[in-house]
Amino acid sequence: MPAREGTILVVEDDPDLLALEAEILRGLGYRVATAGDGLEALERAAADPPALILLDMRMPRMDGWQFAKAFRERYGDACPIVVVTAAEDARRRAAEVGAAGFLEKPFDLEEVFREVERHLNAAAGPHP
Amino acid sequence: MEKQRLGKHGLDIDAGGPQGPQFTPARIAVIYAVAGALWILFSDQLLEVLVPSGPLNAAIQTAKGWVFVAVSTALLLVLMRRQARQREAVAGQVRAVLDSIGDAVLVVDPDLRVVDGNRAALRLFGVSSKAELLGPLVDLAAASRMRLPDGSPILPKDFASVRALRGETVRRMPVVFRPGTDVEVAAEVTAAPVEDRTEGPVRFAVAVFRDVSEVRRLDDMRDEFLATAAHEFKTPLAVIKAYVQLLQRRSAPDAPALDVVNRQVDRLSRLVQQLLEVARFRVGGPDLRLAEYDLSKQVEEVLDRMRRAAGGHRLHLATAPSAAVRADRGRIEQVLVSLLDNALKFSPRGGDVTVAVLRGSGEAVVSVRDAGMGIPPERQERLFSRYYRAHEDDPDDRGGFGLGLDLAREIVSRHGGRVWFESEAGTGSTFFFSLPLAAEAPRASA
Repeated sequence: MPAREGTILVVEDDPDLLALEAEILRGLGYRVATAGDGLEALERAAADPPALILLDMRMPRMDGWQFAKAFRERYGDACPIVVVTAAEDARRRAAEVGAAGFLEKPFDLEEVFREVERHLNAAAGPHP
Repeated sequence: MEKQRLGKHGLDIDAGGPQGPQFTPARIAVIYAVAGALWILFSDQLLEVLVPSGPLNAAIQTAKGWVFVAVSTALLLVLMRRQARQREAVAGQVRAVLDSIGDAVLVVDPDLRVVDGNRAALRLFGVSSKAELLGPLVDLAAASRMRLPDGSPILPKDFASVRALRGETVRRMPVVFRPGTDVEVAAEVTAAPVEDRTEGPVRFAVAVFRDVSEVRRLDDMRDEFLATAAHEFKTPLAVIKAYVQLLQRRSAPDAPALDVVNRQVDRLSRLVQQLLEVARFRVGGPDLRLAEYDLSKQVEEVLDRMRRAAGGHRLHLATAPSAAVRADRGRIEQVLVSLLDNALKFSPRGGDVTVAVLRGSGEAVVSVRDAGMGIPPERQERLFSRYYRAHEDDPDDRGGFGLGLDLAREIVSRHGGRVWFESEAGTGSTFFFSLPLAAEAPRASA
């Protein structure tokens, strides 16, 4: 029984960073699903609808832009997406795919905590 | 085609043409008048010498009159044909010049009809003969599917040549075409009115289309490369940084060492960022995303963030009256961070760093003062040169690429401001930068 509601789907092609993001989020008590590219992420999302998605943009097979578009077409805007990007202008990147937030690589742990809490609390109502 | 004469100052279209002296209407009239006068003065004497007076005199006088008409007509014919040939030669030269221009040129009349175009225009608009080029401008624009770069249509009243017909000079208006095939052609249009004399009515507009597709393609390739480079560099940095922070939480005894690693990772990230930025800025650079905001508020925010990393230094904000600027927030933040970074880096023995925002006439000035090592006078001149590092050989060289100030100056000058400094070796430096206040800032990107 997870300590917190909802699965966070982490999409990242670098296996080390993927494992790390998963570790950070599990440490916060969330259930985490992982995917190495957009196609895999769509499969994971179908099997277990996520409450939040952390999305890398530059990935093989299906990149972040294509994934965000495909995901929205299937599931609408219900699930917030946080873009994790190395781009110079992360804010604009996030706006391009209609993301709810962004994390700039390299990020601070605090920023990750803040961003995740912000979206999951907003979606599920304030935690006690 | 006649041989073109290249004069000392380039192509010599007006003077003479290829066939000797030019026969202007005035010169033709003078030649005619002189010939006529000579005839009147001397023809009778000539006749008396040649023909003895007799009963045929009246007939001879009449014949003389006819001879005069015939000779003067022939003379006029010769002169006028010669002038016409010269005109044709000049027109041919102009045509040759027009056709040898690599950019497409269209001439549009006040009825918005294309009345002329050069060879490059045929290529650009994807037509095979000049006849297809001529006709209503709107038809040509529709056939070549002319659009703004964002894909939206252009109203005929906003066409560069139509604006030129209203007397305006349009410079480098970006458009795209899809003539024939689906290959998109990006072009910049420059159009100017052609007037009879200065202040006269506009007779034509000349529009020059420069094909910039290749430039655009290279821009895209560069952006793609820089994005890949950023991703490749920063992903490993992100992994290292996050693991270091995780380890810091778990292992208290190692925290100070991990703190150093964390700081060095941040430094490496900044260097990577700087290299990518310089690459981008130097090759034409990203457009500024201008928005109006309070510069003082931004200075406070940046100071707050940097206080945490400032170690033994104390960061002060002296004065900060609200100062609305129209600027690219991210870029200005870079300038602030860069100046504060330098102030901290070059004050190895600690001391205060004082930041102030001042409102001057039409501009806001931010100053960053440190009590650090200062810059020796002989190194001050080169301070803004790219890759120059004023403290390179000093015992306490702080590292870096020598890019920070170069980049700061580039960013600020693109906003219509400037960067300068005052410094004394041993007592410290003050760096300043100015930005136009919002009301005064240029509307277009600087």
